[in-house]
Amino acid sequence: MEFNRSDSGSSLQSEINITPLVDVVLVLLIIFMVVVPLLMQGYDVNIPKTSTNATPAQSQESRLILIISPTTCRILGPLAGEGLPTDCRVILGDQKIAATELPARVGDILGNRPAEKRVLFLAADDRANYEGVLRILDLAKSGVEDLKVEFITTN
Amino acid sequence: MRLGEGAKMQASINVTPLVDVVLVLLIIFMVMAPQMRKGPDVSLPKTEKPTQQGDERGRILVSIDQAGGLWINDNAVAPEHFGEALRAAVGAETDPKVVIRGDAKLNFRQVREAMQAIEQTGFRGVGLIAKGRNSGTRGE
Repeated sequence: MEFNRSDSGSSLQSEINITPLVDVVLVLLIIFMVVVPLLMQGYDVNIPKTSTNATPAQSQESRLILIISPTTCRILGPLAGEGLPTDCRVILGDQKIAATELPARVGDILGNRPAEKRVLFLAADDRANYEGVLRILDLAKSGVEDLKVEFITTN
Repeated sequence: MRLGEGAKMQASINVTPLVDVVLVLLIIFMVMAPQMRKGPDVSLPKTEKPTQQGDERGRILVSIDQAGGLWINDNAVAPEHFGEALRAAVGAETDPKVVIRGDAKLNFRQVREAMQAIEQTGFRGVGLIAKGRNSGTRGE
């Protein structure tokens, strides 16, 4: 058998066959196109029971409460652009701090607690903008791993 | 001219143009599909780094549109029927998870009311859906 004689026997194929490649890419494309729009991102939060008097998981003193009030942070209307207003302040525990300090403060207070006790109680004013509340929640969660958030709801 | 001589006959059908056309159709439909969904038009809040909430299939989606209207999955629900509609959506699922897709322009009150209604149906936790800065998640 002689392989080097291209003018006889079966003709040699000089191009790469890309059909299997196209098939694989097609299938990958289908998989990603179907899956990506269905993935969601967000924040897990807990709502305390309003119907029954559930026993608090922690004693009153060790609870960390974050209060979002439109009087200290101007998030009444829809937010313009990214981030929060620059002079936005929130009340963490009993201190009024700038929202930008929130990750560091939450990390300081909750970082050395065991994971199951890293709970932040969040009280947000009804008039506050939802997106603003979520951005503050995002800041608080970025300070410490595995932070559980409990919303405090009134009435 | 006699067939069988001259130019060599090709025995297999050339499928490359077919694959190309199918590919383009697929892309068109995939791009269109999210817009063809029923259900509300919610512009999700944009935040820095929301955590992954997984696949929206198998979750009960509670949406609150810009006007404050409540939706469960793809159906509009009156606030007074919200509880029973949510129970109907839960159906026989053993471990359902509820997520709230609230519009960025809402007041927190409207989201809180939805959360309390969900709590009264027996759920302790919900996921609040947001849109990460660099994500391609639906909800434009």
